Amino acid sequence: MTRLRTFPGGAHPDECKELAEKRAVKRIPAPETVRVALCQHLGAPSTPVVKKGDKVTRGQEIGSQNGFISLPTHSPVNGTVAGLEEAPLPHRRSGPVVVISTESEGGGPAFEPWPDFESRTPAELIERIKLAGVCGMGGASFPTYVKLSPPPGKKIDTLLLNGAECEPYLTADHRLMIERTEDVAAGMRILARALCVDDPAVGIEDNKPDAIEAFGKAGIRVEVLRVKYPQGAEKQLIKAVTGREVPVGGLPLDIGVVVQNVGTAAAVAQAVRDGEPSLRRIVTVSGGGVREPGNFDAATGTPFSALIAEAGGYGDDVARLLSGGPMMGLAQFTDAVPVTKGTSGIVALTSKEARRLTEGPCIKCAKCVDACPMKLVPCLIAANSENEKWAAADELGALNCMACGTCSFVCPSDRFLVHYIKRAQDMIRASKRSKEA
Amino acid sequence: MAEARTFQLSMSPHFGSPQSTRRVMYDVVIALLPALAGAVWLFGFGGALLPVLLSVAAAVAAEFVCLRLMGRSTSAALDGSAIVTGILLAYNVPPGVPWWLPVLGSVFAIVVGKQAFGGLGSNLVNPALLGRAFLMASFPVLMTAGWSAPFEWRNPSAGFGTSGIPAAQVSALPEADAVTGATPLRAWKDSFGIDEHEGAAVRENLSTPGTYMNLLTGRRGGCIGETSIVLLLLGALYLFVRKVLEWRIPLAYLGAVALFGWILGGPGFLEGDALFSVLTGGAVLGGFFMATDMVTSPVTRRGRIIFGIGAGLITIIIRRWGGYPEGCSYSILLMNLATPLIDRFTRPRMLGEVRKHA
Repeated sequence: MTRLRTFPGGAHPDECKELAEKRAVKRIPAPETVRVALCQHLGAPSTPVVKKGDKVTRGQEIGSQNGFISLPTHSPVNGTVAGLEEAPLPHRRSGPVVVISTESEGGGPAFEPWPDFESRTPAELIERIKLAGVCGMGGASFPTYVKLSPPPGKKIDTLLLNGAECEPYLTADHRLMIERTEDVAAGMRILARALCVDDPAVGIEDNKPDAIEAFGKAGIRVEVLRVKYPQGAEKQLIKAVTGREVPVGGLPLDIGVVVQNVGTAAAVAQAVRDGEPSLRRIVTVSGGGVREPGNFDAATGTPFSALIAEAGGYGDDVARLLSGGPMMGLAQFTDAVPVTKGTSGIVALTSKEARRLTEGPCIKCAKCVDACPMKLVPCLIAANSENEKWAAADELGALNCMACGTCSFVCPSDRFLVHYIKRAQDMIRASKRSKEA
Repeated sequence: MAEARTFQLSMSPHFGSPQSTRRVMYDVVIALLPALAGAVWLFGFGGALLPVLLSVAAAVAAEFVCLRLMGRSTSAALDGSAIVTGILLAYNVPPGVPWWLPVLGSVFAIVVGKQAFGGLGSNLVNPALLGRAFLMASFPVLMTAGWSAPFEWRNPSAGFGTSGIPAAQVSALPEADAVTGATPLRAWKDSFGIDEHEGAAVRENLSTPGTYMNLLTGRRGGCIGETSIVLLLLGALYLFVRKVLEWRIPLAYLGAVALFGWILGGPGFLEGDALFSVLTGGAVLGGFFMATDMVTSPVTRRGRIIFGIGAGLITIIIRRWGGYPEGCSYSILLMNLATPLIDRFTRPRMLGEVRKHA
């Protein structure tokens, strides 16, 4: 039996994967109208380069890169630009959106396919990954090419693919790994070449034995991870697999590691090998609030409501609609928001599934302290935040909280620990900025 | 296309464990019940059950009145925490005390020890122990004299045959008082004040397998809930299984009691009886059910170990040199006060943090 790798702390929420894990990915056609966000990635939104009435083709650039941490945006369909507007988005209150009336989805590759990517230079590969608009598909949506361009002097020796998928309900990465193993493997080789790294590995939780087997057969080094939340968080994954710790305030590249989501790897393969920009992604639609949970391959710009309809529609009780999983996902005010490159799942929770919204007093049971994967003291940071003692919260390491939600999950008093800590982070950052100014 | 639907917003995480504060509190209540059965077996319904029931009723009533007066939700009176305080307070008074004593103690514990500080989660010290300290200070005679002997309630003419009290102590007691007497710890402590050889003989007598067995099963004098060690351990095991109890505080506390009992608890250095130290007085009840009070013990892992060791050391110091033979409750109260300071100086090393060593 392989040794299961893991990190200290964490929790074990109900996995709830059985709802969708056996459902093969269903490719759904783009809807009549797509609403493509120009800020699907972390960083500056891309600048629109089309105007109302323009004809666009599938894969055409509709937004250009706007600064170092930014990406170009492409049209997922052939059609006509119906307008540019500000609209609600799943990951921020609102942002610029290009509305396109869909005519068809056909057409050849937008870039020259490079089946011989092994002969390309790392610089060429990175440039292609940037032009194709590939960003992290795990949720944070950081532009992938930036991660592949470490500052001079930083030597990368380890590439880890993140196939942990530790969020309850989500099965998109799982389905991708078993249905499109070759794409992920090719993406992994491209990323390894771009970083000049030998022997990359993929980390997968041991509740996905078929994915572990598939990669094993494909000759890829698999690191089997214990099922535990947040096993898929970057720092926790690195700790589990390499034993190294990302320094406080630092990045994985400081210790020579780059982590990429398996979905990102597949997108990289499509961009480089097939000449296809990042236009679609696999989205899990699940939760007790939808009738037929499943996994869908959807064009960016598809409204959540269309995917809910594909999943048989809402059940009788929907307490909350989430973009992402229940631990770190964002509650949505409306299902009119569009799928973006970072939309890993749409989860509709019933009132029974959703966490209670009434909190009791902290009884200092220390469950949050024992569970925090960053080894913080969440209850004390939260107490200082409630008392507006920002300096004390800073001293306790509030800025190192990644908002994984483990503390709130285990809290028997249902306290809004993440909320208090995030508030402290905002205040600490604001005070640091005003000091610098 | 269907009309867009709207939903309630909330902060992540949107998923929670089924654990609740209420469940934690009632788990503690359940874990304390075996010891109550043991207490009834040893000290009778009037001696054990009645004080516990009255104490719990008083604690819940006091909580209810306080919440009502402060305009808070009175349903919190039944969240289980007041029940735990009521049980623990009663477990810390001698069997057979007047009925009003545990009632008074419980009311003091809830009103002064808990609600005056802001209610559940805000108190600095364990309310039950504060209530006990209040009773000890106000009614020292009732709280320390007249210990009922085990089984006395079933057979008033029975002597001390099974109580674990050394014969020398028993025979020294007047006939009429034969149904009450000293606790093993009192006998042990008094042995230091008498003739050197006689004292040694008393301590020798206290360190026999037969005495240990009686101490384990609770057949000795002591407070209502502290004597049935085996049943207390059974309750603690339940809490471990339910993941309510974490091992650090009990282990550090009882380990320190044993260690310092051996080092300091004898006539000379390293001449004490470690096992006797652990099995007597309230060490087991305190170590598993009072030192571990979540609200008043440290939240950091290292802090919990420091807390346990500190309380264990103070327990032995009070037992050996203090005015009372028993130091468990005062040791925990004192360490409760140190808890915020301990938490402050034992922040764990964050993931990726490199500590600078001065």
